[in-house]
Amino acid sequence: MSAVPLPLAEVLARGDIWRGDALPGLPENAIASGHAELDAELPGGGWPRGNLSEILVDRCGQGEMSLLLPALASLSQAGGWLALIDPPWQPHAPAWAAAGVVPERLLVIRAGRDAAWCCEQLLASGGFAGVLAWPAVGVDARALRRLQVAVEGRPTLACLWRPTAVASLPSPAPLRLVLAGEASGLTVHILKRRGRPAARPLHLSIPRPGRSSRALVGPSLSVVAARSAALAAVA
Amino acid sequence: MLWLALHFPLLPLEALPLRQSPSALVSRGRVCCVDRAAAEAGVGRGQKLSTALGLAPALAVFERDAGREAAALASLACWAGRFTPTVSLAAPDALLLEIGGCLRLFGGAEAIVAAVEAGCREQSYSLTWAAAPTPLGALWLARAGRAAVHPEVNAMQAALADLPCTLPDWPADVVERLDAFGLRRLGDLRRQPAAGLRRRIGNAPLDDLARAWGEIPHPQLAFVFPESFRLAIELPARVEHAEALAFAGQRLFSALTGWLQVRQLLVRSCVLHLTHDDRSTSELPLRFAEPAADEARFARLLREHLGRLQLRAPVEALCLQAEEVTARPGASAGLFEQAVAGEGLALCLERLQARLGAGAVRGLAGQADHRPECATGWREPDLDLPVSAASTVGLAPPRPLWLLPAPQALSEERGRPFWQGPLSLQSRAERLESGWWDEGEAGAAGDLRRDYFVARNPQGQWAWIFRDRDGWFLHGLFA
Repeated sequence: MSAVPLPLAEVLARGDIWRGDALPGLPENAIASGHAELDAELPGGGWPRGNLSEILVDRCGQGEMSLLLPALASLSQAGGWLALIDPPWQPHAPAWAAAGVVPERLLVIRAGRDAAWCCEQLLASGGFAGVLAWPAVGVDARALRRLQVAVEGRPTLACLWRPTAVASLPSPAPLRLVLAGEASGLTVHILKRRGRPAARPLHLSIPRPGRSSRALVGPSLSVVAARSAALAAVA
Repeated sequence: MLWLALHFPLLPLEALPLRQSPSALVSRGRVCCVDRAAAEAGVGRGQKLSTALGLAPALAVFERDAGREAAALASLACWAGRFTPTVSLAAPDALLLEIGGCLRLFGGAEAIVAAVEAGCREQSYSLTWAAAPTPLGALWLARAGRAAVHPEVNAMQAALADLPCTLPDWPADVVERLDAFGLRRLGDLRRQPAAGLRRRIGNAPLDDLARAWGEIPHPQLAFVFPESFRLAIELPARVEHAEALAFAGQRLFSALTGWLQVRQLLVRSCVLHLTHDDRSTSELPLRFAEPAADEARFARLLREHLGRLQLRAPVEALCLQAEEVTARPGASAGLFEQAVAGEGLALCLERLQARLGAGAVRGLAGQADHRPECATGWREPDLDLPVSAASTVGLAPPRPLWLLPAPQALSEERGRPFWQGPLSLQSRAERLESGWWDEGEAGAAGDLRRDYFVARNPQGQWAWIFRDRDGWFLHGLFA
């Protein structure tokens, strides 16, 4: 044993050490969400890999998938496999392909009552880049704990979609978001994250189909990202 | 050369898996083999069946069958193929494994012996063993229960000299005469003048002695691993629950693993034939996501399949047949230690398909069809897909990520479609008119004539709706 302790600054510079007043930075474990405002608020600057994320939303069709699509597309194009466990509707292959996800590497699994077991197997296998689950039967805190243990240390983006009614229940997932739709986009309220708690909800603008945004089909970035790129170009 | 002799003292009885205890094997009305519980009740070899049943009324009795024993020994020889390719049968109840050539691979004779013992325990065979430089010496030591590794000839000879002269290979009259001479141990026998002994008890025992001592060569006939794998196992009682078959099946898969190792093959699919008590048979096909030769994996998959299997009649016998085998490619080991990240995709999918059914795990595939119902195809997950295989998409009109399984009819209020509130249209109509070619066919989407719109309801949900001659329908959701 060496008696000389490490200098404090060196310890603090390590990636897996975080201080209460700052968000921890684990760049290699996060994957950019494609929404600059969201990346700024997520620990590590993006969706965490090797951690369970819970997304609480009541209604489908408010743009909730657009939040994840850029990340999923980059994982898929890098050769990763994605799995959807019990999605509420049938995926429509042309739309996923247009968003940049390779449909051949997207698996749809009908697990029914075995959803929690199935999810755990997929996460523990380590062979998937992304696992998205819509468990119909209520997963309890113990099942969530098992899922979190299964995914720890794996290079997998794990997302669990649950109704907002469970927001008040405790959960071992390190990241929990509540989504609400609004006219211009999506309101994201970060319920729980590593580091200091989030102060206010985020308003993200989501590209919408329709008359005004014909050119914005696909994994386009949000308005702020475009603006900051423009500012960088000016400066 | 180092020979590992494996002697299975209860092989005639243990060739029957899933038998209940106490049990005994009977040949011509006399007990010839008993298990431990029966021996504790006082049942012993040579007793009459009526005596044995009197001592242990609950005794399960089976008739001895030499064919069954030979099959069990052959299956054990297949299993032993995982340790060494040089296996010989020492009928009726022993195997000889030449392990001198594979000591480094396993890390010493002790490691091999530990693996052998663990394997026998898993298959519930009782075992005595010994390792020695001559095959006969190892066999005699194993039969006498002297479990030890003697890599040197001198140590083996010292151990052999201590064995009693009552060897089961030798005729009874020879053993009696030696006893009358006052020769109790093999060491005593070795000290006598050979010529005189040969005159008195014949040549065979002294030749055996010379072979065991390593003075004359003792060639062994190698066990020939069969060209194709098909192994049957008979169950002593009818099995009515599929889960109970897992243990008997495991013996078959242990033998399969050894056979694959010797033949340098991988199995992609195999079939477990179940013979029912009414002589009918049923089949349980087992298919692996990728060619495999891993016993633990076989056992896991078998348990998953048996958990879902409904037996239509009790099962009397099992037979495992390897259907599709491929040559095993050489694998490079990593020079540096690499972290193993889980079991990987193939195994996981295999387990899911076994538990949930093959149709529950599907991959998506785009299809060139303008009708939304037909644009999504389903396919088996293809793990060999190259990374660059991305579908090419042109600039397409907006399509929703989710489709309803079937279009849902919407009501209309004051000229506007209604879905959890009045829908406001966000786009111009997109006319889809296609599909005349499969009009009227069963299961086909048929000829469509629809105007699609993007619409939004007051809750903030973006929907994909269409209007045709029957009215408004909800067909998808932009998420």
